[in-house]
Amino acid sequence: MWNPNYEVVVGLEVHAELNTESKIYCSCKNAFGLEVNSQCCPICMGMPGTLPTLNMQVVEYAIKMGHALHCNIHRICKQDRKNYFYPDLPKSYQISQFDIPLCETGYLDVLVENPDKSTYQKRFGVTRIHIEEDAGKLLHSANIDGSLVDFNRCGVPLIEIVSEPDFRSSAEAHAYLETIKSILQYLDISDCKMEQGSIRADVNVSVRKKGSTEFGTRVEMKNVNSFSAVVRAIDYEAARQIEVLENGGEIFQETRRWDDAKGENVLLRSKEDSQDYRYFPEPDLPTIVLEQDYVDGLKEAIPELPNIKLIRFTQDFGISYDEAQVLLEEPEKCAFFEESVAKKACSPKIICNWMVGDLTKYLREKKLSLADTALTVDSFTALLKMIEDGKISNAAGKQVFEVLLTENADPAKIVEEKGLAQISDDSALQAVVDQVCEANQKSIQDYKNGKTNALGYLTGQCMKATKGKGNPARMKELLLEYLQTH
Amino acid sequence: MTIDIQHVAKLAKLRLEEDQADRFAKDMENIVSMVQQLPDLPDTGALIDPDHPMIFRGDVVEHHYDRRELLENAPQVKAGCVVVPKVVE
Amino acid sequence: MELFEYTASQLSGMLREKKISAVELTQSVLDRIEAVDDKVKAYLTVTGEEAKKKAAEVDERLARGEDLSPLAGIPLAVKDNICTKNVRTTCASKMLGNFVPPYDATVMKKLERCHPVMVGKVNMDEFAMGSSCETSYFQKTANPRNLDHVPGGSSGGSGAAVAAGEAVLSLGSDTGGSIRLPSAYCGVVGLKPTYSSVSRFGLVAFASSLDQIGPLGRSVEDVAMLYSAICGYDPMDATSAKREYPDFYANLKADVSGKAIGIPEEYFAQGVSEEVQQKVMAAAKVLEGLGATLKTVSLPSTSYALNAYYIISSAEASSNLARFDGVKYGYRTPEYHGLDEMYEKTRSEGFGDEVKRRILLGTFVLSSGFYDAYYKKAKLLQNRIGEEFDHQFESCDLLLTPTAPDTAFRLGENMGDPLKMYAADVCTTTVNIAGLPALSIPCGMAANGLPIGMQLIGPKFSEQTLLNAALAYQQETGCCTVANL
Repeated sequence: MWNPNYEVVVGLEVHAELNTESKIYCSCKNAFGLEVNSQCCPICMGMPGTLPTLNMQVVEYAIKMGHALHCNIHRICKQDRKNYFYPDLPKSYQISQFDIPLCETGYLDVLVENPDKSTYQKRFGVTRIHIEEDAGKLLHSANIDGSLVDFNRCGVPLIEIVSEPDFRSSAEAHAYLETIKSILQYLDISDCKMEQGSIRADVNVSVRKKGSTEFGTRVEMKNVNSFSAVVRAIDYEAARQIEVLENGGEIFQETRRWDDAKGENVLLRSKEDSQDYRYFPEPDLPTIVLEQDYVDGLKEAIPELPNIKLIRFTQDFGISYDEAQVLLEEPEKCAFFEESVAKKACSPKIICNWMVGDLTKYLREKKLSLADTALTVDSFTALLKMIEDGKISNAAGKQVFEVLLTENADPAKIVEEKGLAQISDDSALQAVVDQVCEANQKSIQDYKNGKTNALGYLTGQCMKATKGKGNPARMKELLLEYLQTH
Repeated sequence: MTIDIQHVAKLAKLRLEEDQADRFAKDMENIVSMVQQLPDLPDTGALIDPDHPMIFRGDVVEHHYDRRELLENAPQVKAGCVVVPKVVE
Repeated sequence: MELFEYTASQLSGMLREKKISAVELTQSVLDRIEAVDDKVKAYLTVTGEEAKKKAAEVDERLARGEDLSPLAGIPLAVKDNICTKNVRTTCASKMLGNFVPPYDATVMKKLERCHPVMVGKVNMDEFAMGSSCETSYFQKTANPRNLDHVPGGSSGGSGAAVAAGEAVLSLGSDTGGSIRLPSAYCGVVGLKPTYSSVSRFGLVAFASSLDQIGPLGRSVEDVAMLYSAICGYDPMDATSAKREYPDFYANLKADVSGKAIGIPEEYFAQGVSEEVQQKVMAAAKVLEGLGATLKTVSLPSTSYALNAYYIISSAEASSNLARFDGVKYGYRTPEYHGLDEMYEKTRSEGFGDEVKRRILLGTFVLSSGFYDAYYKKAKLLQNRIGEEFDHQFESCDLLLTPTAPDTAFRLGENMGDPLKMYAADVCTTTVNIAGLPALSIPCGMAANGLPIGMQLIGPKFSEQTLLNAALAYQQETGCCTVANL
């Protein structure tokens, strides 16, 4: 299906609902999943004579995102009306921003994973971010002749993040979307709950011959409802376009609707039917004018963002892309990792291994967050140091770790109480080796006949004899010595 | 200049009878030709007025209306929702 | 003299001195409505029972010695595009024939504290689009000074009710002259306030950047009284101006001495009747006699203002009226198949021709490929017109013009000729385009027995100067009276 002579070009428009208390243009609660038409008022229902008033928090959140994506912030900007008729749009226009968005010309550095798990870093251009209102929801029921309109979502604040057509594969688009999502969550400005539709993407796809500098005709795809669907939709559409071109056909500028269940898209409207939105400046809302100090202050408050952390973790700590992603899942987990590294008691790699492995497994099983456990940076790093220094075995470490999850204790004390300290004393270990070897002459014979896995068996027997407390590395050395001398 | 009145009517979700369309088109062409006499002024860019800046609203929830009174004026209501002809997205 | 014939400031004193009761006063006005509204047809809804209840409440408050606003107990008519909670608000359109808002406009909330007695909702051009009150879906209001003539529009019901004694005061709205034109045609006083000084929340929008609610009355004092009660910053209206608003009624004093009054020559040109020009110039001489100085000035972009007005107002209207789609409230066509047909039939049946004409014009000027040539050009011209006014206000305190180029035309005379109809607004639209305050006050009668109005225009927020000058003129020439019916 895939033709190596072609290159896919993708641009993304991400809509993210902001998690403000109230809606963007009225004081109704911004909440999901409540009883139909229970979070409405005459303003968000577009009743005659009502007027919008802009929620300051929306502007602030949008500027934060603008800073995170290195945008220019237009401290003087305006809002515009986008006119079209639809039952979920009570005023028959959406208040949005047309020619002067709040944020413009930024970029995002993203680490993209290749199919072979290697990674590369790429900078994607961000054209603009603007604020606008969400529409309501249409509900369909088999036993009602018609559609039902729920206005609860009307006026929920949105930011639309428009990218440059910089993506050259569905993997790049996916990595960008994951990164946008993690930033929104780090800034705590959006819940990003895909299943609630609080983050959505429109996808623009075109293809061109490799080496060409001109863009092909782009097709917009709607109804792409998850990040994994974005990948499928891009791959499908690129293949469709290549097939059309290879058969001597032409691509038309059109809007297509993605059907994820069927894994295909269908024509929604052609360019000729493209809507004429008749944008004009919203006369009910004066010009937005923000103080420079205010805008700058918001920039200073932006923390290091997960995309930058991802690059740093993989490059500086030798951590894999997938492991870093797990660490970055939650800001809390990530902070714990960084504080642990900062202790310099043990290597970042062992911290990562334990956090991605045992800790994450435990939290997922128990459905807990890190704060729900008794684990502290001090106890955790002290434990890992003992393992790295060979004072206790990995297996013993797990026992100590389990205790530390539920009680705030000194890991050294637990080791002592449970008698978990590792035997590193050569004379004690030598005695064990001699004893095990004498009892297992057949395995020694096997080893000498070339069955090298007999060594593993012998090591296991030695560990068993020390009740797991023997230093496995030293034990193995002594075993090899024995095998060579006998 | 001639105006495609039926296209404009479609955008505005209005239905015009033929004679009505002709009449409106003629009225509009008259008005538009008057407008064409407007002098050309230097384009000063976007239509903004920073001298009268917006006063923002604080992010505070207030709730005053119940569903019943909000839907009182709706032509058709079912299950707490406004009913419209079936639409497929 | 019957109670309904007095002015609000006179009645306010009589109520306080307990010479009359609010109930008596309200009854007098309700009786007058009963007697003459068959002929005038000013009212769409009369709220008699609520009015009597409210009047009784005011009487109780007065009896208790409460310190009430001068407006307390004064019968008031409200234009039917101002939302009144639980009282039908139709905009004189089939589209909103059964619409009962669950909320009050901010002006109604502000008035609640002053206790005027609303006696009903009055007729207007449909969605305030018109200059004659003839585009109302429900009825054609007549001019109380001559029932064969129009009362002017769009606040025709507001002007007619006050002129006929069917209300002591009324609220209108003015987008291109809709308060001032009926004031001039009906021979009453009307004030179009500075844009942003009166909240638009709850005023069903025609053209958001031009609309403004304002008072009509039979005296300058009355207009000042009502304006003082409704003006002020409103956090519900982002375009409302946050500033100090003095008590215009308390501060009112007849004074025009030392004021420089500009006479813009473009308003005394072709299209404005000789008779109107003479009467307005005569009024200028009266003001000069009261100590004002007169000077001829020029506002060269005036001739373009009407065009810019039609572009901007229609563009905004096309968007503002898009919400009337048969979904959430108002009219829905009884038979339809599918969404688009429901939309198109609802809107085609629910709106009258003038409304459709403006929606089409507005849709056209905003449509792809025409925005820059029409809408943007008109907005740039708007700035130019504002600058020309600002320039004149550097050397003038006020400007004096006719309110309308002629007296009220006959009912039906201009229907079907939009350009001729629009010409009635030629003197008033510039003021809305520039966001300025302007007051219309009668300045004599034409030979046909119909009143002529003059318009005083001031810089933004100069309402006190306007009112003081108008009061000086009124004291010199006499107050308007109720029409004989």
